[in-house]
Order: sequence, then structure tokens, then C-alpha cells
Amino acid sequence: MCQNSSSGLLRDIVYTSVLSLVTGVVAAMGFALLAMLLSGQASASDAGMEKTLHPMSIDEVQRGSLLLKLASGGLSVDAPLLYTDVSMQVSGLVNRVTVKQQFHNPGEGWVEGIYVFPLPENAAVDHMLLKIGERVIEGEIHEKEQAQKIYDEALKTGKKASLLRQERPNIFTMAVANIGPDERVEVMIEYQQDLHYQSGQFSLRFPMVVAPRYIPGIPVAEREVSGFQGSGWAVNSDQVKDASRITPPVVDPEMGSINPVSLEIRLDAGFPLARLESRYHGVDIVEGQSGLKTIRLRDQHVPADRDFELIWSPRVEQMPAGALFTEQWQGEDYALLMIMPPVGAPASRLATPREIIFVVDTSGSMHGTSISQAKAALKMALSRLRADEHFNVIQFNNSTDALFGRAKPASLQHIRQALNYVEGLQADGGTEMLSALQRSLDGKSHEGLLRQVVFLTDGSVGNENELFSTIEQRLGSSRLFTVGIGSAPNSFFMTRAANFGRGSFTYIGDLAEVQEKMNALFSKLESPVLTDISASWSQSDGVEIWPARIPDLYLGEPVVLAAKLTSGSSQVQIRGMVNGQPWQQQVTVAGGAQSKGVRAIWARRKIADLMDQKAQGRAEEEVRTEVLKTALAHQLVSQYTSLVAVDKTPSRPLEEGIDSKNVPTNLPSGWNAAKVFGAMPQTATPAPLHLLLGLLSLFASWILGLFKAGKRQASNTAMAGR
Amino acid sequence: MKRPVNLIRTVLPLLLLLFSGWHLGQGMYIEAKAWLAQVLLQQAWSDTLTGEQQVRPWPWADTWPVARLRQPRLSVDQIVLAGASGRTLAFGPGHLFGSAQPGGSGQSVISGHRDTHFRFLQDLRIGDRIELTTRQGDVLQYAVYQREVTHEDDTQVLYREGRDLTLITCYPFDAIVPGGSQRFVVSAAPVIL
Repeated sequence: MCQNSSSGLLRDIVYTSVLSLVTGVVAAMGFALLAMLLSGQASASDAGMEKTLHPMSIDEVQRGSLLLKLASGGLSVDAPLLYTDVSMQVSGLVNRVTVKQQFHNPGEGWVEGIYVFPLPENAAVDHMLLKIGERVIEGEIHEKEQAQKIYDEALKTGKKASLLRQERPNIFTMAVANIGPDERVEVMIEYQQDLHYQSGQFSLRFPMVVAPRYIPGIPVAEREVSGFQGSGWAVNSDQVKDASRITPPVVDPEMGSINPVSLEIRLDAGFPLARLESRYHGVDIVEGQSGLKTIRLRDQHVPADRDFELIWSPRVEQMPAGALFTEQWQGEDYALLMIMPPVGAPASRLATPREIIFVVDTSGSMHGTSISQAKAALKMALSRLRADEHFNVIQFNNSTDALFGRAKPASLQHIRQALNYVEGLQADGGTEMLSALQRSLDGKSHEGLLRQVVFLTDGSVGNENELFSTIEQRLGSSRLFTVGIGSAPNSFFMTRAANFGRGSFTYIGDLAEVQEKMNALFSKLESPVLTDISASWSQSDGVEIWPARIPDLYLGEPVVLAAKLTSGSSQVQIRGMVNGQPWQQQVTVAGGAQSKGVRAIWARRKIADLMDQKAQGRAEEEVRTEVLKTALAHQLVSQYTSLVAVDKTPSRPLEEGIDSKNVPTNLPSGWNAAKVFGAMPQTATPAPLHLLLGLLSLFASWILGLFKAGKRQASNTAMAGR
Repeated sequence: MKRPVNLIRTVLPLLLLLFSGWHLGQGMYIEAKAWLAQVLLQQAWSDTLTGEQQVRPWPWADTWPVARLRQPRLSVDQIVLAGASGRTLAFGPGHLFGSAQPGGSGQSVISGHRDTHFRFLQDLRIGDRIELTTRQGDVLQYAVYQREVTHEDDTQVLYREGRDLTLITCYPFDAIVPGGSQRFVVSAAPVIL
């Protein structure tokens, strides 16, 4: 062969060309075959299928179809319409709110309208008025079952009535009985809440829509659910016994928005303001006398599809060191007291080694804007880690997945790996939060290690109590920080989970806020904590303060106490530990501003504390008895009490029937219906493709092999002939 | 001695062979998994019928049997799993979480792969019976009344009135590449015997 190099070269050239040709032809044939198969299917199938097959275009389908998920699986027509007017009166730390709900029955028959709606998780609801034309009926507080009975009786006998029930601390249902054809009935409810103050900033959040909740577990009630017994699309499950009560029907966003809300706030902050803004809605601000401000929505009405948030802060020189609001009610003194601990100097940064675990919710409800916010927040957090700190990233939807088997040092390489992992996160599927909590909270006590778990989620779950118990049991020495993401996060879950986790909570409602909010969170994570806080009174007999156990405080958080006082109890000493150093502050509880609603806030805090005790394992019967006593005395709606109002005279002729109808709600802004309720699944495997490619390449290699063998044979013959 | 041609002559066929082997392996693995899983699921199903909840067919499974689906004429006998995620559908037809439980109030939706478990949908005729055994052991009969092809964005078929059983798979059945946007939907209504 070597001697005959020129002819060998020629042969090689010819051979290579033929080979490339054959390979090219095979490849081309392969692709052509593929293309033919793909296009051929469609046309062949049209001819081969029966007449019942008629592909529909998307336009055809979506026009005029109101997508309502009902328990019966059907479509609803003539659902009651709802208009909401909200007016708030803020004075100092207390916000008193009136929510007017107008139900309109556009149909021809009589209906019962049921509306599932959110309120702030600390709302102390103590009034309900039912307005029929000129008549006004005052609601009465009753035990939940009793109130239901009173209402059902009115419903049956044709009397107008309204019933307000609490389903969760932040989810309520309003039922209005016997709304006539084309009639409007108005219900007014009133609540008060204490405002959130942190790092020199007050904030007021008003939720407008109950985001669809993920209901884990197996459905239990397989009987027909109808009327007031269940009004949602999720059947009851073993983990969430009342699933059908907290999942209102949702209207397809394609159909446009429903449930318009108007909002007006009169703000009497008590000090000159450096900043006042609405985070997610355009507002007009009108200056009144003596610093009073009136805030209105710029668009007269907004769709109820995301939280409203108003924030304001005093000028730096006016930052309050404390606040005191008092109320006298039925001969007793109540006080709402806020004390700002001294801000630790930045020099006292943490010296303890730190392990930080990021847990991110990648369920379907996070799809779209929420997951972008979560990703941005995570990336920012990752870039802030120091090389000597350990970290891990865990994601969960139907199942849980972790970046590393165990926490690893934040080296450049690991951070890069983590950033890639975060970039690749996709939101789809259910919200099985329990297993994520079990994985991230190990229940261990870590000596000399600060273990912080940062949990990013929208909290759209229905099994809050089960999750709280898990946090309580498995916390160990770890600390849990919740970060609420999206346009309508479950604030009850966020705040309570952080409370049980002895951490704090942060809301991120918009991509633009990520930096500011994450910076604030990181300052908290990196600064010393005020722990073991206690309050002792000069005269402690008869003084009742809530919360009973004061939670640990992070940078910028104040001590807030609601207290029932006795005459001698004017001095209180607040003690705690910062970085192993004792801290204490003497406060004289005298003076302050009179403020209506303080006693209701006190009672609301007491009920919240009792309900927490239930999650911590206290017997339900005991908790129930105590909650009932407080709630009935203070006229508050709670887990065990409802407000009910009944008209005296019947309005519906009994020979005319009545339908029970749910007021549909919007999907929260930025949500994707298909990702929440499930869309058509992908139901093809790549098996045929694999098989085809495999066969084609087998064929190609066989051809090549033939050539090679042929050539070898040829050269062998040549050798032999020599 | 070595000439570049050698590379093409010996390495290319080998590479192609490897490539071919991998693809054939993948293809057969998918088919085998679909078949084998159903065998394993039979045990989990009989445990479910005795009243156990959420029986995981193998320890790391994230799904469990919810019903048994039979079609006598086409000799179909399959265990339906909870959820219709890609991971679940590899092992058996999946019941959509959002839809009613088989036998519960409302419409039940089950989907399956068009090239494994639910290939038989193309042979279903109007009037064919479908038998569904619930976890409680009740046997429900359905009759096919409609077959249609829809777009994947047309989710209206997921929200039907009544207690329909809806079976969904991808369409066309013999497409080579997965991920098409059409769906084949079989609707069946409950039959009282």
C-alpha cells in the first residue's frame, strides 16, 4: 500500500466522497421521512376518522364560555354580582375599617349569594349591618353552629338574612339569603387591626382576593356537595376538612375582571410624614387639616385581584421610641403599647458560623411573575453569602428536590452551581409543603451554629394548622424566615409560620421590590436578635398581656403588647437579651391617646394566642371554651363564633324556590389558570422518536460497515495479487 | 501509516452504532417501564382495595393507585394513578388532581400516554363500555358517547356538567415527535345497570 501511495490517495478521495454522499443521503432521507411522517399524520387522520372528530380553534371555544369551577363540575350562569366599598380610618397604630358589600342578583329567580373573601389575618371583626332598602338590621354574635341554625331558618322561611363566618383567620364567608330578582342587598362589616411597624415604616395591607389554595391529601367527602354545605371546587380532603369552604369558584382571566372595589383611607398618623405611598395601586392623596390625609384609588374601582398596601414613615428625627393607645371599655382599661428596642450598632455583626437553607416553592401557583420574583430574590441572597458560610437550595412542588445532599460552603463554584439551579427552576404542580418543611427543619439542636431557613412561597395551601404543628415540632435550634411572594400571598400562613419558627416574615409583591426587601431581610439575618423578652408590671395582679410569650425580635422590629390593665399597674419593665447581654427598658404606662378599638385588638390577640396553643397541642375543647368566652364578650367573629343578622318579615313568597349561588372571584393578578387547575397533560413519550433514530443510525452504520468491508476486501485482493 | 480516512472508516460506524444502541435502549426502556410498572401496581391496587390509603407501589414513588380501568372488548386492564405529571404517566394513566374522584360528584378526568397505555383510545367506538373500579371497590360502568380532537389550550373539556368520565391522550396517535398541541378526548357517561 505504501509504495502505491498515489493510487491509494486517489482511492481514498473517491471513497471519502462516496461515504459523505451516502451519509448525507441517509441523513436527508431520515429527515424527509420524519417530516413526511409528521405532516402525513394530520392529513391521513382527517380522512380516516369518524365524523365526530371536529378540531375546534381556541377562539371558538373561549368566546362566551365563563370558566367557573364548581363543586358540581358545571358552568354557572347568573352568578350574583358583588361591589365592595372600603373605608379606613387610621389613627396612630390602630386602623378601623368598614367594608360594604353590595350583592346584586341579576337573575330571574331568588338566590342565596355566598362570597368567600379575605381580610387581614389580624382583623378583629365586631360589627355587621344588613341593609335592605332603608331598614338596617344589626348583626348579633353567636356560637358558630347556633348562628348557622338561625340563618338556615331564615333562609327557609323566606326572610332576608346575612351570616359572616370565619374559615381561617384571613378567610371569611358572607352568605346573604333571599335576594330577589334584580334586587340589591347591602351588608356592612367593621373590623379593627393594629398596624405593622418595622424599621421606621408603617404598613397597612388589605387583601382583596382569596388565592386558590392547594389542597393536599385525599378527598374525603364524595357525596354531592351543594348549597351552603360546600361551595368550592376542591372536594374536602383528609388533610383539609373544610376545603370546599375556602375555595371559591374562579373566573377565567380571559373573561375580564369582576368584583370592583373602591377604597378610601383617612390617615391620621400623628406625626409629619417623610414618605407615603401605595405599593401596587395608583392613588390620589389629598392634604387635610392638621396633617390629616385622605387617600383614594386613582381608578375609582379596581378589580379585586391583588393585595393593596399603603406604607408611610415619619421623618428620621420624629421616629417614635414608643407608642401608647388606650381605651376604657366596660369599666376596664386596655392598652396597646409599642416599644422600640435600641438599634444594635452595625459593628455587632454576628460572629457565629452560619448555615442558611433556602427553600423555594415551585408549585403551579408560583407560575409567571411570582417565580420571577422568587428567582431574583434567591439570586440576590446567594450573591450575598460569605465564603465561610454553608448553604443549600431546596425546591418543592409535588415532590421535594435539593441542590446538594447537605449544606455546602459558599465557594465560588458552589454559588455558580446554585445560580444555575435557580435559573432552571420551573413552577408547576402541587404544593406539598409538608415534606419541604420536614426536609429543611431537621429538629436538631446545632451547637455553635446559627441555622437559618429562608422559605419563599405564596403560602397557597389549605392545611395551615398541620404545617404549624410540624414547624413547632421540628424547629430545633433552627430559625424559619418566611418570604411571601406574589400578588395575594396567604398572610396568615406567612406571619404565623414565622412566629412558630421564631423568625420573621417579609413580603415581596413586585419584582421592583426584591432588592429593597431582601436587603432588609439580610440585615435581620446578619444582626443579633433580642431574645427572652419578658414584661413585668409594678402591680401584676389582674394584668393580662397578649401575646403571652413575646416572640424574639429582629433588627427594626418593635415590642408590641396588648394589655388589660388594673389601676396600680402603671409601670412596666421590659427585659431581654441581645448577644448575650441583658437589655431592659422602663416604661410608664400613662397618658397616651384614647383610641376606639384597642380592647377589640386585645381580644383578637388573645384569640390568636389561644389558637396557636391549639396548634402546639393543647386540647381543642379547652381552647374552644376560652376562645368562646373572649369572642362572645367582645362580639368578635372567630373560629367558633359568627355574626348573623335576620330580617323580621319574610320577603320571598315560599312557593318560589331559591338557588344557592357562589360569587365567583378573580384569579390573583399574574396567575396562570392552567398552571393552577391543571391543563391538558402532555401525553406522548419520546419512545417512537428514539426507536426511529436508533433504527436509522443502525442502518447508516451498517452501510458504512459494508463499505469498509468492501474496501478491505479490495485491498486484500490487491495484496494477494502482488 | 495512519491516514485521516481511517478515522471516518472505523470510528464513524462505531459512533453511529453507539448512537443507535442508546436510542433503541431509551425507546425500549420507556415501553418496558410502562408495562412493568402496571405489573407492580397490581399489588399496590389490591392493598388499596383492602382500605389502605395512598399505597405507594414502590418506596420512592410519588403517586398511588386511585382506580382500575377496564375495557373488555380491547382487553384493557390498567391501574390508574394519582396525578397526571410526566413522572406518573410513565407508569400508568393518571387521574387529574383537579377533577372529581372516580365515583365522586363531578367529572373525572384521566389521561395517559398515546403510545403506551392510552393507545387503545383510538380503537374505542361510540357505545363501548368502560369499567372503572373505585378504591372503595365499587364498579362503575360508563358508555362512550363522543370522540373528538381538541387543542391543548381548549380546557373546556375539563369542565363538563354531570359525572362524566373523560379520557385524554395526545393526538395524532402515530406522531413521531412528542409535544404536539392536539388532544384526543373520549367522553363517557355513567350507565346504570
